[in-house]
Amino acid sequence: MSAGPGRSGFTPGEAVRQAILVLLGLLALFPLYFTTVNSLKSPVQYAENLLNIPATLHPENYTLAWNQIQGPLLNSVVVTVTSVLATLVLASLSAYAFALMDFPGRHLLFGLTLALLLVPEFLTLIPLYVQIRALPLPSNYLALILPTIAIGQPFAILVLRAAFEALPKDMLEAARLDGAGHLQLLWRIVLPIARPILISVAIIRLIPVWNEYLLPSLVLDEAHRTLPVALVNFQGGGASNAGAPNYGALMASYVLSALPLVALFAFLMRYYIQGVTSGGVKG
Amino acid sequence: MTALPGFRSDPASRRAALTRLRRGWPAYLFLLPTLLLVGYFSYYPAYVAITRAFTDWDGLNVPNFTGLENFQRAVSDPVMGEAVQHMMIWVVLGLLLALVPPLLVAELIFHLRGGRRQYAYRTLFVVPIVVPSLVLLLVWSSFYRSDGLLNGLLGAVGLGGLRHEWLSDPDTALYSLIFLGFPYIDAFNFLLLYAGLQAIPEDVFDAAKIDGATGWRRVWRIDLPLLRPQLGLIAVLAIIGNVQYFISPLVLTSGGPGYSTTVPALLMYFTATRDGEYGYGMAIAVLLLVVVVAMTLLSRLISRGTR
Repeated sequence: MSAGPGRSGFTPGEAVRQAILVLLGLLALFPLYFTTVNSLKSPVQYAENLLNIPATLHPENYTLAWNQIQGPLLNSVVVTVTSVLATLVLASLSAYAFALMDFPGRHLLFGLTLALLLVPEFLTLIPLYVQIRALPLPSNYLALILPTIAIGQPFAILVLRAAFEALPKDMLEAARLDGAGHLQLLWRIVLPIARPILISVAIIRLIPVWNEYLLPSLVLDEAHRTLPVALVNFQGGGASNAGAPNYGALMASYVLSALPLVALFAFLMRYYIQGVTSGGVKG
Repeated sequence: MTALPGFRSDPASRRAALTRLRRGWPAYLFLLPTLLLVGYFSYYPAYVAITRAFTDWDGLNVPNFTGLENFQRAVSDPVMGEAVQHMMIWVVLGLLLALVPPLLVAELIFHLRGGRRQYAYRTLFVVPIVVPSLVLLLVWSSFYRSDGLLNGLLGAVGLGGLRHEWLSDPDTALYSLIFLGFPYIDAFNFLLLYAGLQAIPEDVFDAAKIDGATGWRRVWRIDLPLLRPQLGLIAVLAIIGNVQYFISPLVLTSGGPGYSTTVPALLMYFTATRDGEYGYGMAIAVLLLVVVVAMTLLSRLISRGTR
């Protein structure tokens, strides 16, 4: 994948390009640096200097932050993992039907699923809120999980259907002659082969679910509150709040809330990159 | 043929519709969970939103049909007019921020020598995605405070006169929200453009070199025209995204001070959740939907016309 013409060498142009990239990269990473160093400062240290690495560290900020957000952090993990996994399971079943089965109404139903990509989330937000408020659910988590699965379906089905359609037909044919049923085919053959794509879809979908703020802030009660909602409350509202909060603890809570994604991306970054760059993927 | 029921058979064979319907049962079973969920949590709310826009719905009681009253109110409301202006500023500036910085970085990386070096930089610009979007908003709101980083930096470089209450001054609040997130290198947009550059065949570059198109000339004459599909997709997604975006004004400024950061989507949210005027809120939502759908169709038309 070597780009551009020419030999590998170090020209003035190359030096300038790299210098600009390093500068931009540092600026892009700056919020990470800012939150991390300031999460270890006392209020006095914070007021003195916003950019330095403090001489004496204050890890107790993390204890304070952890007490505030451990519940929401757990809620976020529960909601995100459940919704993304369920999105994959249901979308795999549907994509299998659309890609490999024959039935009347196939095109119509697929069209109806795709048309949902045109339905913006702000349109359904308020009716969903009213509807879910009146819906008796066994767990408040489901008030967020069920609509989140529904919102994820069109994208996941679109990508998985394309992947399933590209599978070699001979192999499926052979398994079918051996007497395998649809579920067996899906579980034993289709899903294992499509695993990289499943991981890509999962991680691309996981980011917006983890970050979701509007619907959770409307449908979740205090005990089931997710991280974004809790962080806004913890901070106590932006410019409207004149009093200075404890910034060290605040920044510590930001660092903690990024950690699950850091852990995930440390292992699965390439699936995200492959998923986005393989084309035809809408974020 | 002893095919399993529901399997896709070769298109030449025709069976009676009834047999196909009966044999299709496994497929319908596979689709059932998805259809139930999107029916109840996507299609039904969309239907409610559109139909209740023509009523005096208050979220609790049975709504009365009021015709176009909500729409007339939205069109003649001066706050709505102001909000639409803010939205248009946001869409135009947001379009530039979605296209230019990711394109610059994609070009710079693509023209580095050696695949390894490119891979390292590409990874570097995806890493910031681990910062939750709401955390980025909150960190930036701390930058904008009177004792925050931005004023501190301005003071340090001798531009203390430019210090501001960025988010509580009506003249700067909207632009502070729009320009939040420097240096604006969206990982998704950047990866899309980078993949587009990689897809350009090597001999196109070779031919360009022979013709003497190098550096910026080549970017302008070769790269940009060939990146049109990617640039088009990013542009449409950015426009649609910014028409409906209202999280930063909701969380950081509540649309204020005054109405200086109010956008139509935020107005829709407040009229429903705060004022209880759900019908009016849905009318605003439907007007935004029309804009979003028109934009999507327009972009389809343009890309089809130039193909």
